[in-house]
Amino acid sequence: MLDRGKLQSAMLALTVASSALFFPPLVYVFDRPVNRFGVPQIILYLFGAWLLMIVLTALLTRKLPPEPMSEADEGEG
Amino acid sequence: MLSADFVIATAIGYVGLLFVLAYFGDRRARTNQRSWLHSPAVYTLSISVYCTSWTFYGAVGNAARSGLEFLTIYMGPTLVFVGWWFLLRRLVRISHNQRITSLADLLSSRFGKSNRLAVLVTILAVIGIAPYIALQLKAVTSSIQAIAGSSEFGQGSLRGIDDVTLALGVAAGMALFTILFGTRHVDAKEQHHGVVAAIAFEAVVKLTALLAVGIFVVFIGGGLDGIFAKAAAAGITIDPENSFDDRWVTTMFLSVAAIVCLPRQFQVTVVENSDESHLRVAAWAFPAYMLLMSIFILPIAMYGLTTMPAGANPDMFALTLPLAAGQDSLALFAFIGGFSSATSMIILESIALSIMVSNHIVMPLALRLGAGQGSDGRGVKSLLLRARRFSILLILSLGFFYFFFTRDSDALAPIGLISFTAIAQFFPAVLAALFWREASQKGAIAAISVGSVVWFWCSFLPSFESFSPAVSATMRDGPWGISWLRPEAMFGMDGLDPLSHAAFWSLSLNVLTLVTVSLLTNQSALERIQASVFVDVFRRPTAAGNFVRGSATANDLYFVAERVLGETRAVTLFETAAQGSGVEPDRLDPSPDFIGKLERELAGSIGAASAHVMLSKVVSGRDVSLEEVMQMADETQQVIEYSQELERTSSELRTTALKLEEANAQLRQLDSQKDEFLSQVSHEVRTPMTSIRSFSEILLQPEALDEGQRQRFVATIHQESLRLTRLLDEILDLSALERGERSWTNAPTDAEAALDRALLVCDALLSQRGMTVERGRRAKPVMVNGDSDRLCQVFINLISNAVKYNDASNPIMQISSVVRSGRYLVDIADNGPGVAKAERKLIFEKFARGERGSEQSGAGLGLAISRQIIAGMNGSLELVPGQLAGACFRVKLAVIR
Repeated sequence: MLDRGKLQSAMLALTVASSALFFPPLVYVFDRPVNRFGVPQIILYLFGAWLLMIVLTALLTRKLPPEPMSEADEGEG
Repeated sequence: MLSADFVIATAIGYVGLLFVLAYFGDRRARTNQRSWLHSPAVYTLSISVYCTSWTFYGAVGNAARSGLEFLTIYMGPTLVFVGWWFLLRRLVRISHNQRITSLADLLSSRFGKSNRLAVLVTILAVIGIAPYIALQLKAVTSSIQAIAGSSEFGQGSLRGIDDVTLALGVAAGMALFTILFGTRHVDAKEQHHGVVAAIAFEAVVKLTALLAVGIFVVFIGGGLDGIFAKAAAAGITIDPENSFDDRWVTTMFLSVAAIVCLPRQFQVTVVENSDESHLRVAAWAFPAYMLLMSIFILPIAMYGLTTMPAGANPDMFALTLPLAAGQDSLALFAFIGGFSSATSMIILESIALSIMVSNHIVMPLALRLGAGQGSDGRGVKSLLLRARRFSILLILSLGFFYFFFTRDSDALAPIGLISFTAIAQFFPAVLAALFWREASQKGAIAAISVGSVVWFWCSFLPSFESFSPAVSATMRDGPWGISWLRPEAMFGMDGLDPLSHAAFWSLSLNVLTLVTVSLLTNQSALERIQASVFVDVFRRPTAAGNFVRGSATANDLYFVAERVLGETRAVTLFETAAQGSGVEPDRLDPSPDFIGKLERELAGSIGAASAHVMLSKVVSGRDVSLEEVMQMADETQQVIEYSQELERTSSELRTTALKLEEANAQLRQLDSQKDEFLSQVSHEVRTPMTSIRSFSEILLQPEALDEGQRQRFVATIHQESLRLTRLLDEILDLSALERGERSWTNAPTDAEAALDRALLVCDALLSQRGMTVERGRRAKPVMVNGDSDRLCQVFINLISNAVKYNDASNPIMQISSVVRSGRYLVDIADNGPGVAKAERKLIFEKFARGERGSEQSGAGLGLAISRQIIAGMNGSLELVPGQLAGACFRVKLAVIR
């Protein structure tokens, strides 16, 4: 089980890794005139990376402990 | 077949439906806090107002023209939401704590509540958003015309109406609806639950509409592979130029900035957020929504390019493909989807901007000019509402004018990117606000100013190229022929994509200015406190009294300390601490120890709880503004003063009560002694009376008595009568003395002679008791103002008391007299039991007698009478510590010469 600090680091790692996935030079690796399942590989790569990011964010976010609400919200009608 | 009239009627009906939704949503949200309107799903859907007609129409067009580039507009926001924990969470928390109502409010609040900054942000936002509004107008106008142009009778009542008039009509309609939607009331938190409900509904409509079109296209195109194969066969590549160039990076970055800084995004993500935990769902759900929105964009674009005639507007493929296939109902649905995305954008963007305009420009002006200062808040409220309505009209007018001047320029997406570049100018300041403590107000103002000027020159101005020959000349040759200032080739940076060029120069100069000016200028106290509040929003003290090292500087702490402790104590405290660490007081780095010490000091003045709350607020930088600290300090000071006042009063009361109690006890004691005295007097009167009566009865029977007995009995009766008279005289004497009826006149008298006479009178009594009289020092004859007989009476009384109450086996009395500093003092001391401590005050009271008094004869009036007599001679009779074991009475009289 990951503790809070590690979870936060994992969130940061995910954010940084995600940025790397969408920017050159990583995108060049998949930018080939190749079709897979009838679809250009680069499209599959971008949407696949995107989907992976969403799933990982959902998983990590679920594990992050809930936080107490800010004080200013207490006693609001 | 669809006609323009029909789709316009449908659109109006649809907006009516939205209005009903907003109305009931508002009512529901107000009455029921737990309503589904406050759910994470509605929150996520409202954020998807990001997907405007730019997405619905423009993305397809963009994909058809530039391939994959359209994806960056959604991948950037995805990155922000994936990293929600680091940026959005902060923004939401800070905005909740600080009651932030807009992006301008956020920056103004962080940088010392500067109104100048707020005005700057507002103006740039209003101008920068104009192209974006124009984009929506253009999209709606184009979509109506696409339907109108699709058939013979399609034009309907639009016949003869050009696109400008149509756009004006759309703008007017949008303005009307936005005013009806967004300015019905003013909410302190600027939340619009009804509008958000309507936006969420629209989000579902546009998504399903685009998905429906996408699925339809994939179906008739023979599946994904079919579409891509056909496109490849037609020589259409998905990546006509190399997509992953500077433009890819630029648009990605601009979209990152936009999802945070666009006024409407800030409004829905931050201001309308009712629960921070909703962000957890939105973190993955909003990227998922965008993924779904973009999943069919490329197939639609590819299919459109392969099937539609050359020259067809690719921006309208989502509408024209179903139309071309004769799917009117799908086309109508697509139209409503596109219309949805445009209306939700316009409504929310106008509301967000109008809040900025009214709060940061109109209100400060109105307050300065003295308007709206009604006795109630109604004047201000109606002024606010009017200001908002006016702002909405202004914003839509600007959008319309931009559309009017640039209507000949090409596709939708580039127009939107002009807005993105403008809005991105806020991003460095926002990041600095959240993460860089030293960022200063002057830095932020300078940075945004520089950035917006460069944006205006490099991005906004060139979009008027087709309208104004002067602009196109400037772009070709530079202003006044200065070629290195050409808007699209600044400093000779030629050949760069215009968007990347504008973004590069505006943003790098923006960041450079922000950093340089911030480093060169100083923050005000308010800025520093606000910087702490923003940067340390999640930092909390770990335990009571144990502060983490926060961002509070010594000055911040001193400010609080001075407020609570007063200048002198605060200065002493800080100087001591500074000496301890060997630095100047103002360079003191507050250690946890010092903060703890300060807390204890404060606790001494204002109580531990208040001190802790106050210091936690300053040290850990939670929601606190300078005003709040000042107010808190003042309130605390008032409470302290009030409680000190109370304490003083109550201690006075306690003293008074104590005195009263003492007096009361004395009274009770006197009262009981008075009772005792009365019974004593009665007894003493009764004794002689009884003997007189019994002797008289014997005398009434003369036969039983001889002359000798008779003589003795009569003598006894006489004696008893005299005793009785004496007793009564004493009582009368005392009351006469007490009433101030002096029975004598003071005259110069020889006091020593009176003393000698008293000793002579008492000589028999003394020798009868066998008392040794020690004669101490005696004064020479001394004259006092008084009465000789009375004085003698006092001395006799004192001497006889000394005899009466002395039960020692070898009784001694000491008498001395002296003249000291003009006063004649006579001390009469004995070696008897003395006067008990408790009785010392009482023995001079009338009726009072010492404890042993009851065993002795005498009414106990002697001392009281004596004191009255001496007082009558302007002297005093006191009990003083004497040389012998017993009591020592001192008579003090003024000597006359």
